[in-house]
Amino acid sequence: MTTVLPQKQEQHGGGTYTFSSRPRAVQQRKKYRDAGQGQDATSLYGNIMYDRRIVRGNTYAQHTLPASAQPDPIDIQRQQEARRRAIARKRAKEQLRPRSPEAVEGRKHIDVQTELYLEELTDRVEEADVETQTDTFLDRPPSPLFIPAKTGKDVATQIYEGDLFDFDMEVKPILEVLVGKTIEQALLEVMEEEELENLRAQQREFEELRNAELVETQRLEEQERRHREEKERRMKQQREVLRKEKETAEKIAARAFAQSYLADLIPSVFGTLADNGYFFDPVERDVESGFMPWLMETVEKAIDKSVMGRTMVDVLIREVVAQRMESFEALQRSIQEMSGGAAPIVSQTVVEAPAFIAEAAIPEVTPAEAPPAEEAPPTEGEGEGEQAEEPEGGEDEGEQAEEGGDDAPGEA
Amino acid sequence: MAKTVISQKLPPDIDPTKAPLAYGDRALPRLNRELNDKELITRQRALMTLCDYLHDPEHIADALRVGVAESLKALLSDKDPTVRHKTTEVLYVIATHNKGRDAFLDYGIIVPLSKLFDDSVDLARKNAHMAMEMMSEIPYGAAGVVEAQLVPKLVGKLRDELNEIKELILDTLHFCLREETMHALVAGAMEVFTELLGHNQAIIRAKAARDIMDLSVPLDGKNKACEVKALPPLVGLLKDGDTYVRSMAAGAIATITITTQGKYLALEAGAIPHLVELVEDKNSEVRLNSLKALTTLSEAPEGRKELLKHVDLIKKRMEDESQAVVKAATIAVRVITWKP
Repeated sequence: MTTVLPQKQEQHGGGTYTFSSRPRAVQQRKKYRDAGQGQDATSLYGNIMYDRRIVRGNTYAQHTLPASAQPDPIDIQRQQEARRRAIARKRAKEQLRPRSPEAVEGRKHIDVQTELYLEELTDRVEEADVETQTDTFLDRPPSPLFIPAKTGKDVATQIYEGDLFDFDMEVKPILEVLVGKTIEQALLEVMEEEELENLRAQQREFEELRNAELVETQRLEEQERRHREEKERRMKQQREVLRKEKETAEKIAARAFAQSYLADLIPSVFGTLADNGYFFDPVERDVESGFMPWLMETVEKAIDKSVMGRTMVDVLIREVVAQRMESFEALQRSIQEMSGGAAPIVSQTVVEAPAFIAEAAIPEVTPAEAPPAEEAPPTEGEGEGEQAEEPEGGEDEGEQAEEGGDDAPGEA
Repeated sequence: MAKTVISQKLPPDIDPTKAPLAYGDRALPRLNRELNDKELITRQRALMTLCDYLHDPEHIADALRVGVAESLKALLSDKDPTVRHKTTEVLYVIATHNKGRDAFLDYGIIVPLSKLFDDSVDLARKNAHMAMEMMSEIPYGAAGVVEAQLVPKLVGKLRDELNEIKELILDTLHFCLREETMHALVAGAMEVFTELLGHNQAIIRAKAARDIMDLSVPLDGKNKACEVKALPPLVGLLKDGDTYVRSMAAGAIATITITTQGKYLALEAGAIPHLVELVEDKNSEVRLNSLKALTTLSEAPEGRKELLKHVDLIKKRMEDESQAVVKAATIAVRVITWKP
């Protein structure tokens, strides 16, 4: 912003236009109204129709530059002096005016009318009141500026425009770069982390399923293993059962066989044993071993006796027969002698036969006697009445002899 | 708004801790050169700038091309703590990208980085662990960490590190355990995790539970978990105020109770009532894991008997908004109501 300063050269009739402006801060609109400020602002603006900076008309017809562009420094100084003097004079005049003495303690001067007649003092002109109401402003007196007490020495240094580091201006690009870079970096890192986070989430989701499936697989594996084991156990059991069954069947068969085998054995063994005499009746045995020999002995003795008897009888008979023969012969001869030879032949045959029988009977008796002797005991009582037998035996022999005698003639 | 008037002088050096960036393509080669400078302050300034510069994913590939990775590897053994701290930070930023992880393996940065686990500067250690965690996020990165035999070392560190570093170690181990569990089991990781279940920070409890789950995936781990009595504290965590802790504890129980021994230990510890409560949880992961745990528990006859009382509750979950929960609930109902 620039300000048009009142042109001093005008008075001196200088042809050229010069412009200069003081550096000043940008005026900000104040919050509160400040007395005597408004006029300044308005006076800055000029009408451009009268602004000498605006060239009007043909620029070729411009007047040439004056020899000295600068105003005379002496002239300026003089003018300033004159102004200063006028101000000083005004101030002196004010001070010279007599004043009423100071008011007493606790009192105060006040303006009072001293005329004869009191009248209302007013310079108000006749007027009509028209009102308009604006928004109420907060009319607050400006707080007095704090100015610390000055210390130390004043030192000045000349600074040209643009020399100083204008923080507001200079900091912005740097700040922007800094902030931009930081944000960019942060964004990268955040994105990286976010990506990792996403990956992790997905990984966890996957792991959730994976673990479940893994457990399921292992469970089934384990189940399968158990089932297999169970199956093997069952099979083993079954095999065992089969084996046992087979064994039992074999045993039963063996038993049956043994039974059937042994069924015959006992009787046969008993038979054999009985045959071999392992089983016996003590009475029978006693009879057999004790009684029978004795019996036999006794029987033998008895037979011997009877044989002896028979032999004796035979001997007796023979003697008797011989005697009888002799007597018969003697008789015969006596007859013959008496009757002649009527029946010599018959007597001869009769005589011859008993001799023959006697001869034959003696050797025959001994062997023939044994069997009947043996048979005799069972059939007959135990040889009781041997004496009684003798006549019979004698008769038998006699019969035999008679039979033999009968046969003999046949054979002969 | 900026005005047209600007100062004749250049703006003052605004951040003396940072090296100025060269324009455009020349930025990274110059930074790389400065990284190898003998002057300490130059290295530090270059690292500071690099830290910020690499946050932009566009610059990662360029940085690796000009050989920043090698320079950083050398700087890992620098004497100055600030250099080490900033180096690990840059490595962390690089490790967030796939290309960076490849470079880690190519230049063998894992082992020198793991040396910093014993660093005296907390920040350097933390950043090293962060980088290692990032590294292990992908399977071949985790394989690299396992190959470098770092698992026992990490397990050892877990006992006496700062809490936030513990968190990072638990994450790293989580990924490593997916690769391989034998080393960790031998190093006694299960005992350490079980101890951490009683930690006062929820996130550490949750991560410890999660690592127990990872560790007990193979049969040996399950047996070990039963051996060190991890189940009672896990059952206790089912009542935890933190959702993540609850879900991870339920998951760990589900994994351990696969074995018959685990099932009976969990039943003894009284897991079923708590798990049944969790079936109604707001978080779908908690619901899913608790349903899984109930499914495994119901395979034991005692568990099935107890759960038959709660079948209706589980049946309600078959109309859940999460598809996985619906599936898990269906399976759970089927297993519970299964009759031989």
